[in-house]
Amino acid sequence: MSGYAGKILRVNLTKKEITAIPTKKYEHWVGGHGMGSAIFFDLVKDKTIDGFNPANVVTLMTSPLSGTLVPAASGRTEVQGIGVQSYPIGWFTRSNFGGRFSSMLKYAGWDGVVIEGKASRPVWIDIRNDDVKIRECASLSLWGKDTWECQEIIWDYVAGEGKYGDWIKQNNSEARTTQRPAVVAIGPAGENLSRVACLIHDASSAAGQGGFGAVWGSKNLKAISVIGTGGIKIHDPQGLMAARLWQKKNYAFDLENLIERWGFQHQAPPAPIALWRGGRPKIGQRPQACLGCHSACRARYDDALGNEASCFASVFYWDAKSLDIQRTASDLINKYGLNAVEMCFGLLYIYLLNQNGVLKSSNIPKCPLDFSNYGSEEFVERFVKMVSYGDDGNGNKSQFGKDISGGFVWAAEKWGRREQDLNNGMLSFPYWGLPIHKEPRAQVYWGYATLLGDRDINEHDFDWLKHDAKIAARWGRKTMATAEEAVKIVTDKMVPYQGDMLMMDFSEKNIYSEHMAKLVSWHRYYTRFWKQSMLFCDVRWPDFLNLYAPGKIGSTGIAEPKFLKAVTGKDFSFLDGINLGRKIWNLDHAIWTLQGRHRDMVHFADIIYKRKASWDVDGKAYMPGIENGKWDYHYYARRTLDRNKFDEFKTRFYQLQGWDEASGWPKKKTLDSLGLSYVASELEANGRLGKG
Amino acid sequence: MKDQKNRHTGKEKADFSRRDFLKLSKNIAVGAGVAGILPSMIWLEDGVAAIPVSEGYLLVDTKKCQGCMSCMLACSLVHEGEENLSLARIQVVQNSFERFPVDLTISQCRQCTEPACMEACPTGALHIDTKHGNIRTINEEECIGCMECVKACPFMPGRAIYNDKKEKALKCDLCADTPYWDEPGGPGGKQACVEVCPVGAIKFTKDVPKQKGDEGYVVNLRGRSWRRLGYPRR
Repeated sequence: MSGYAGKILRVNLTKKEITAIPTKKYEHWVGGHGMGSAIFFDLVKDKTIDGFNPANVVTLMTSPLSGTLVPAASGRTEVQGIGVQSYPIGWFTRSNFGGRFSSMLKYAGWDGVVIEGKASRPVWIDIRNDDVKIRECASLSLWGKDTWECQEIIWDYVAGEGKYGDWIKQNNSEARTTQRPAVVAIGPAGENLSRVACLIHDASSAAGQGGFGAVWGSKNLKAISVIGTGGIKIHDPQGLMAARLWQKKNYAFDLENLIERWGFQHQAPPAPIALWRGGRPKIGQRPQACLGCHSACRARYDDALGNEASCFASVFYWDAKSLDIQRTASDLINKYGLNAVEMCFGLLYIYLLNQNGVLKSSNIPKCPLDFSNYGSEEFVERFVKMVSYGDDGNGNKSQFGKDISGGFVWAAEKWGRREQDLNNGMLSFPYWGLPIHKEPRAQVYWGYATLLGDRDINEHDFDWLKHDAKIAARWGRKTMATAEEAVKIVTDKMVPYQGDMLMMDFSEKNIYSEHMAKLVSWHRYYTRFWKQSMLFCDVRWPDFLNLYAPGKIGSTGIAEPKFLKAVTGKDFSFLDGINLGRKIWNLDHAIWTLQGRHRDMVHFADIIYKRKASWDVDGKAYMPGIENGKWDYHYYARRTLDRNKFDEFKTRFYQLQGWDEASGWPKKKTLDSLGLSYVASELEANGRLGKG
Repeated sequence: MKDQKNRHTGKEKADFSRRDFLKLSKNIAVGAGVAGILPSMIWLEDGVAAIPVSEGYLLVDTKKCQGCMSCMLACSLVHEGEENLSLARIQVVQNSFERFPVDLTISQCRQCTEPACMEACPTGALHIDTKHGNIRTINEEECIGCMECVKACPFMPGRAIYNDKKEKALKCDLCADTPYWDEPGGPGGKQACVEVCPVGAIKFTKDVPKQKGDEGYVVNLRGRSWRRLGYPRR
């Protein structure tokens, strides 16, 4: 099994049992998310349990590409299980973090970790090659520590007599490494079961969504540490090296000939996606990449402030009075282990409640925050502590702190304000009680997919189109390609729907069409397999439009199967991946159906249907569209979605999936055709199989 | 000059004058003292043994490195046919929480003029490969896995590394012998780490660096393009 370690670690915290699942059993899912969903389906008999239930299973999965030279596909880890963040229930969900955990796991001889049950006391898992121990937190006083301190304590413990920077022997043998263990940990937020809690690895690699920090906290699991000294067998080492150099020569950035400077693109050079309002600090720094990546998207600084923070981890405290306070705020959420996006929009909510004079209303418990201090370091530290500890941020009881620690939408619900604040624009959580990310009225595919799925998709595959057009409009420069040219390049790669350019027409007349249903479908399938199962990074893949390549045609469609073949030997085409993505998407949807999903639930907050966007959540959302018979980029944010037409869109989408239009439930024949008859049987036994 | 034979190898000693040797190596040779006679030594006409210097070296810019460790992955891939950080002949060690630039080190083999690893090798497995520009390299067949070279390397981490599965030592050969890469290597060819580094933080040179600690092996490879990306040039 080239590309695989061959076994998946199974840890039952209740029974303190450590066993192994042969990877071969799940190899037909190829890796990552597909394997994780399949394992979850097999091990969780009652899918209706809450995320805090000890029977909830959390998987951390690798890909056959993890730990290899495949560019921007080597360092990510896929996390799955029933989450606790979404509303009205915690859907079976996923998250994903970068760094080096997945690769180290494979060097240690494991393709994934499956966590079951609940420990009686706080524990951490210590993996050193084949030697796996469940260790008590008490002996190292880990419980209560922030995520960074926790990792450093574990590093020192695992090093024993060794010293980093030198070779350190492992497992009482001559096996050795210079590397620190890869540790993923929860902070105080997770320990205190905050629904805003995430998992943190290294400085700022976070599995942010889903509230997995709290799920781990409920299991009394503080951290997993792994150090590996072994290797990963490669099917065609020559082919892999050649493929990497081919990618570098033809598709990666050229430092001496820089075309694009920034962004979520394959061709972008290594520059931190640091979105601090004060900009990037003009101090000594290096780019910092996940293992094997060709182009870093983070940085480390000469004062170590804001190390590795990017995207929302840098946006979080937007109104900080200085850049240093913003960078400090990034460190705080990483140390306390908090989901940056929810914290960002949660803070905005509390701020707006205060601005609008309702924070002191009788149905809201007394808020300990002093808004005269807003923008200061003291303010943000207190806010972070309130969410982490569920108190007043100073160690005293506070109902307000307890409420927001339970998630901002859940808090609004407690205060009797959820519906009202979702629709007056203060609580920007328009789908499944999750924070807004991209403008759903303009980038409709993003909002649709989030609603039809389980979480803010956070998949930037088409996002560059918007950024490119937005920057061009703002600075009066040319876009990388005309709208028509860009759409053609993108849609030509979207097998099996290739050539349907209308998939990328975001004009009013087209956003509820079957073309848009195809776009959303393809996007689900592509990401479910190539991104979340093979773990190609969301920042650097896909490679659609590439200014270095002939005809601006990027490597996606050719590159992914080329790398997979070199590593595993599998003759697995790009389309095979899309088809397997469809199967995985159907399995996930079946789990949501078992959890209680019905088409009637699938709607945005009313504000999306009733009010045009009054502010640009992510800069002006220009999207390609046909107006008056011509392709161009248009500013589509100032529109509402039509509730009835969205319902019609759902019907088209369900038809395309082969699901029951009335309920949105999967049909037996669809599942049978995908090799998921056993899933159909479970749906039938639970009275949730679609008709037809 | 009388014909002499090397005590260890039985091979004819080269008929070189000191001047010829300096011309050949473009560098000061090492007079072998009482430490022992080593294979691959060149005998000079006045009876002094000299070690020819390597004709190639790796220089690194630790401040430019993005810590992706692609060099390590490429190294183990082309030499061993597998991905294994522990078998990479160049080592990058980093700490997420530390300040730039001390958050990261790159440790590459020095191809020392006076290789302690070679001197420590009891079998001659670690030798100077005159066919490949005098690189200091290991003949795997002759290596007995005693780890003397591993212990002898004066640098931290040691640049002679150990494969615990094969019970053999490994070290950088500037890609002279890459069973899993067709590209000719060694001082006259290409090196996997140099070729793969996404940011150009590793450089091959034929000039002998200053042999004092890190001095001479660390270079500034950050040009104007680097500054344009917002990184310091100094």
